Amino acid sequence: MSGIAAKLQQNRARAAGIGTNAQAVKFLNQDYEALKRECLECGRLFQDDMFEANTSALGFKELGPNSSKVRGVEWLRPKQLTSNPTFISGGATRTDICQGALGDCWLLAAIASLTLNQDVFARVVPPGQNFDGDYAGIFHFQFWQYGEWVDVVIDDRLPARNGELLFVHSAEGSEFWSALLEKAYAKLNGSYEALSGGTTTEGFEDFTGGIAEVHELAKAGPNLFKTIQKALSWGSLLGCSIDITSSADSEAITSQKLVKGHAYSLTGAEEVEYRGELTKLVRIRNPWGQVEWTGPWSDGSTEWRQISDSDREKLNSKAEDGEFWMSYSDFLRHYSRVEICNLTPDALTDESVNKWALSKFDGNWRSGSTAGGCRNFPNSFWMNPQFLIKLEEEDDDPADNEVGCSFVVGLIQKNRRKMRKVGEDMQTIGFAIYEFVGKRNVHLDRNFFVRHASAARSETFINLREVCSRFCLPPGEYLIVPSTFEPNKDGDFCVRVFSEKQAEFQELDDPVKCNVPEIDVKESDIDSRFKNLFGQLAGADCEISPFELQNILNKVISKRKDIRTDGFSLDTSRNMVNLLDKDGSGKLGLIEFKILWTKIEMYLDIYCKIDKDKSGTMSSMEMREAVEKAGFSLSNPLHQILVARYSDSNLTIDFDNFVGCIMRLECMFKTFNMLDKDKNGTVELNMAEWLNFSML
Amino acid sequence: QFVPSDPPPPRRPLAYAEANESEEEKQFRRVFQQLAGDDMEVSPNELMNILNRIISKHGDLKTDGFTIESCRSMVAVMDSDSTGKLGFHEFKHLWNNIKKWQAVYKSYDRDHSGTIGADELPAAFRAAGFPLNDQLFQMIIRRYSDESGNMDFDNYIGCLVRLDAMCRAFKTLDKDNDGTIKVNVQEWLQLTMYS
Repeated sequence: MSGIAAKLQQNRARAAGIGTNAQAVKFLNQDYEALKRECLECGRLFQDDMFEANTSALGFKELGPNSSKVRGVEWLRPKQLTSNPTFISGGATRTDICQGALGDCWLLAAIASLTLNQDVFARVVPPGQNFDGDYAGIFHFQFWQYGEWVDVVIDDRLPARNGELLFVHSAEGSEFWSALLEKAYAKLNGSYEALSGGTTTEGFEDFTGGIAEVHELAKAGPNLFKTIQKALSWGSLLGCSIDITSSADSEAITSQKLVKGHAYSLTGAEEVEYRGELTKLVRIRNPWGQVEWTGPWSDGSTEWRQISDSDREKLNSKAEDGEFWMSYSDFLRHYSRVEICNLTPDALTDESVNKWALSKFDGNWRSGSTAGGCRNFPNSFWMNPQFLIKLEEEDDDPADNEVGCSFVVGLIQKNRRKMRKVGEDMQTIGFAIYEFVGKRNVHLDRNFFVRHASAARSETFINLREVCSRFCLPPGEYLIVPSTFEPNKDGDFCVRVFSEKQAEFQELDDPVKCNVPEIDVKESDIDSRFKNLFGQLAGADCEISPFELQNILNKVISKRKDIRTDGFSLDTSRNMVNLLDKDGSGKLGLIEFKILWTKIEMYLDIYCKIDKDKSGTMSSMEMREAVEKAGFSLSNPLHQILVARYSDSNLTIDFDNFVGCIMRLECMFKTFNMLDKDKNGTVELNMAEWLNFSML
Repeated sequence: QFVPSDPPPPRRPLAYAEANESEEEKQFRRVFQQLAGDDMEVSPNELMNILNRIISKHGDLKTDGFTIESCRSMVAVMDSDSTGKLGFHEFKHLWNNIKKWQAVYKSYDRDHSGTIGADELPAAFRAAGFPLNDQLFQMIIRRYSDESGNMDFDNYIGCLVRLDAMCRAFKTLDKDNDGTIKVNVQEWLQLTMYS
């Protein structure tokens, strides 16, 4: 209710544009402008009480309060560290980012790539921040988090030891945007330590809102170099790394000075004429700002003497700045993978580059209702959320001999990194794609998936934050079904589709409708046995109160050995009375009671039919079917709520809960229809009306 | 003029939240961990056990014990992600409210009957922050009190938890503060069925 209301309000805000880069969500409700104004007015520097400068901001284990690694750490503002700090000097460049004592090279490689694209950089690092004029010790940055942009405010107290920054710092030590950016990202994730160990793709996505694909170099296709060049020209961000074979290998340096288990940025791909042949070269950058490849094409190597002056000038690279060239063939031999982050259309202002079309949906898996597991579980797979994409136009890439519609599907699970400390880690996730023909407003059932084979699927089910794959399929309609590997695993996700051409994207779900037949009973239809029974039960006032009804129901139901129940609650019998009490007496008369009885018999019949194994209870998976049989058509969020509200801890629903649920559902539909006088599908209520109906 | 309690604070990354707790909060978290078990979530059954264990120690509160139905309802109105369970922050919020309303209950049970009678109810609810009109008080008495109009402790708490959540839900949805909310049928059912 109140939690749901907050969710609904969030959805409404999102629909109104909150969460886009232009209207980022304020992290922890902190407003940069307001806080800054406040500080300037009272003439003090900002102190962030939402991310205090103390040991807990550093970490919980290796950087935890009792760790030797945090001994002697003091929090200093840039002006205490250097006499003349700057936020950005001479533009943000890749050399502004040198790794500190934290295993977040993945993040730094992503930040480094960020500096290659001014537009993208300006989205993460809002312009106009500096250390002079209206400096107030406060800065802000924007990150993409699971489908929306978040604005994170920080103060500029940075962890230092012996007067030097502990973590990210610029090569010269006086430029601070990178260190402050790292702090903001640490705040978003809870602590600096929470940043250690991750993949460049995560950093890429959080800084761009893009979608990242991984290419294994051992399986590199013939077009990969082209793909890399194309990606660079599309403004995509690229990273690469070398696998480690054991943990001792981590950050081990090879004889040719390549670092294993370390995240590099890939910043260029060119072809030059060398000894009469075109040779493919790639440019790579070590985020440490030093330790460069020493093999062929490295800085100052002999190969450079044998190419034209103009080529040499174009590729010019000599300094020990961490950046170096190597041949593409050496790259394939030494590196293990390259990661490409495709940018959303709004991130690219340059009109000359191609832009992807983006579609996205948020959804969730819930035990017992929409967490159906993968295709290995045909009885529940169909219960997962389903999305439809319509691809109408083929790509128009003449160089590409693949015909069809190219698209990238990314399935991202939300908020798992923050839960790391409780031991909750990633779910194993993936998705399947089916060809689809049919009606748009129906959640497909088991039969569809039993009869149809999938057209494509994610490469594997894996416990990563995101699974992502590129497809090329003929024009048509396709169904995307994201799922966890096993059923009944709770999770929230965001599914995104990047397509070369605009594509229609929607969720397939049932409409919300009530088709429960009205039961019409006249007094003359009621036989005398029932009348006598009613007379005995109702007593002197000839009406049945909720209290009496509860007794009656429990007496009757206790005689049935085929259904399980822990007895009807007073609430349920009150709901029944509310639903049927036409004269507003708060009690049931003969006809009203007869209608109730007919309904209960009907529900009993449905319940027993659904309970195929005669266990006396219904599994929550069967609830969906039962609710439909009873005459309701409901959407995924409602099915989730019914299971959350009415099932037991072992995901079963007993008879009294089933009846209670159905009766309340009917009652609430009726109330809504009564309030929706002009039948426009919405109702407007004031507080008193709202309480009057919802407290019932 | 309604004064629902403040919503639970925005969720902090756990590692940070834990490290910055006061001693009292730390102690509460330890208790919570024992109650909630490994999953760190409180189910309606767990909530019922906790509440009944505690009220059994208070002889002056008349109650026939919290029912599973009323605990389901309390979880539903507090739960924010439709998992059917309460996390630490939601539980703490519920807990603080219960403590507060228990004090109100005791001081407004003027005849020391152990229950809140129909005549005592409006004053008690006003003190708890809910100055409703007579019609709503009548409805609440019909809905939550026994046949003679007396409300015992479990019904009182169940009712206030719901009322508080409903008011909060209303305030949340009335973003422009014009005193009305608009909902479509799906939203209506999401709100009213999960209560």
